[in-house]
Amino acid sequence: MMERDVVVRLLLRLIMVVVAYAVIRILAPARTLLAGAALGAGALALVALNPGALASVEFWAGLVGFAAILSALMIVIHPNPMVSVLFLIVNLFCVALFYLFLNAQFLAAIQIIIYAGAIMVLFLFVVMLLNLKAEEGLTARGGPQRYGAIVLGGLFAGLLFDAILHRGPQPYFDPGTFASGFGTARELGGLLFTRYLFAFEAASLLLIAAMIGAVVLAKRRLR
Amino acid sequence: MDPAVTRILVESTVKIALFFFVVLTVIAYMTWVERRVSAWIQDRRGPNRVGPFGLLQPLADGIKFLFKEAIVPPHVYRPVYLMAPALIFIPSMITLAVVPIGPAVSLFGRRIALQVADVDNGILIILAFASMGVYGIALAGWSSQNKYSLMGGLRSSAQLISYELAMGITIVGVLMATGSLRLNDIVTHQMEHGWNVLYQLPGFLIFLTAAFAESNRLPFDLPEAETELVAGYHTEYSGMRFSMFFMAEYANMITGSALATTLYFGGYHVPGLAALGLSETAAALVQVLAFCLKVAFFLFVFVWVRWTLPRFRYDQLMNLGWKALLPVALLHLLWVSFLVLTGRG
Repeated sequence: MMERDVVVRLLLRLIMVVVAYAVIRILAPARTLLAGAALGAGALALVALNPGALASVEFWAGLVGFAAILSALMIVIHPNPMVSVLFLIVNLFCVALFYLFLNAQFLAAIQIIIYAGAIMVLFLFVVMLLNLKAEEGLTARGGPQRYGAIVLGGLFAGLLFDAILHRGPQPYFDPGTFASGFGTARELGGLLFTRYLFAFEAASLLLIAAMIGAVVLAKRRLR
Repeated sequence: MDPAVTRILVESTVKIALFFFVVLTVIAYMTWVERRVSAWIQDRRGPNRVGPFGLLQPLADGIKFLFKEAIVPPHVYRPVYLMAPALIFIPSMITLAVVPIGPAVSLFGRRIALQVADVDNGILIILAFASMGVYGIALAGWSSQNKYSLMGGLRSSAQLISYELAMGITIVGVLMATGSLRLNDIVTHQMEHGWNVLYQLPGFLIFLTAAFAESNRLPFDLPEAETELVAGYHTEYSGMRFSMFFMAEYANMITGSALATTLYFGGYHVPGLAALGLSETAAALVQVLAFCLKVAFFLFVFVWVRWTLPRFRYDQLMNLGWKALLPVALLHLLWVSFLVLTGRG
């Protein structure tokens, strides 16, 4: 387990790297190489901080968290909607990796199949077919909503910093101990068909209703 | 570092290096096999000048590709354009990494599983990364900023999504018969109860059809139908980048063949091998050979079908996927669950 101070320092460094990257991207959107170099330097600095961390789960969880933050940021700031979709896929992969760290291997695979595989293909299609121009995202400034967004975003960032700085003594990332078989398809299936049977059936009914509704709505004009 | 961790790292690194070497060599020689077999089918000679029987032809081709000028057209969306070929190639390699090619053997005083990654969720990994293949093609088509490429990319995305569904459902049939997501368990189950193809022949046929569609080969090569779309999604690619698409197609073929072997033809199982009383290592060697032969057979089927059947029309392709394969796959799943319930699966 890493010391608490080390974790705080690590997180602050992460945030610094992300901010540096964001600044480079916003000031010079074409300088992909420069941004990549900054990223590489940041990652090297992180490893140099603690080489022994390479074998620890915390380090890898931190790295994936870093990738998750970065990709989430890129979804918002990249001018090209298609590239935003790609970064969303990267982000969903990071979430799948987090599931893996938490021993939920079945959920991790499902996350990739459903979200990264199926839903994002739909996103990709929509963006491709709408043929959005890269500039549209940047010119739509959003009027007065913008100021509200800045205030609320600032508050949220403050909350996050507060949470990082005043966290309790428990380890920063604790995969915990699990019974063998935890998170496998067998275990999960057993729970779904016994303890959570009602919720499971209700959800499937809802999905079927939504599917039929979508078909009816789409075919209404063809009648 | 912990010595156990170091050992695992060394073992995995060696396995991965070997895996890449073998797969890339097989890919290179598949191009030669493809050309020789097509020549044989069409009563021609095929490449026979470079080396004996033209065996050095893949090498010559590789050198040619490497020294060609790699042109990046000015109108493309560069980062995605450069990334797309790798995005097709990587998922099929990941899928292949979970396939076991033989039983665990004792080497250098350790038990070594003859597969790159023995994953508990092997089947889910296959399904997950089979669906990733769409991105490479769709993005290659989009980033080329060319209407033919875009059409090719869109067609292929639609095709892959349609056929993945049928493929997934047939794989569920195998899964139900075995009761495990691990590919090793699936092979062991087939050793004890007979190959899955005996019980699930329709499932196997649907799987094979879907595997053809996955690899974008004739009769499902609509995405690059050259009479309609120039060369589809890889129109704007040249040099080594173009050959990456080519390699990805062959990698997909190998993955499809290896999966068909593992899921339906007993994997590395050789019937009656135990009766011979071979030593463990010799038996493992025979089993690995058997696996390779089975995969080679399916690779031949891929080539054979390509040079026999004409291309489907687009509406035929969609009708086949949604109105024939999918319902049949669902019915077949019902049949398999009946078999499993009555204890005959």
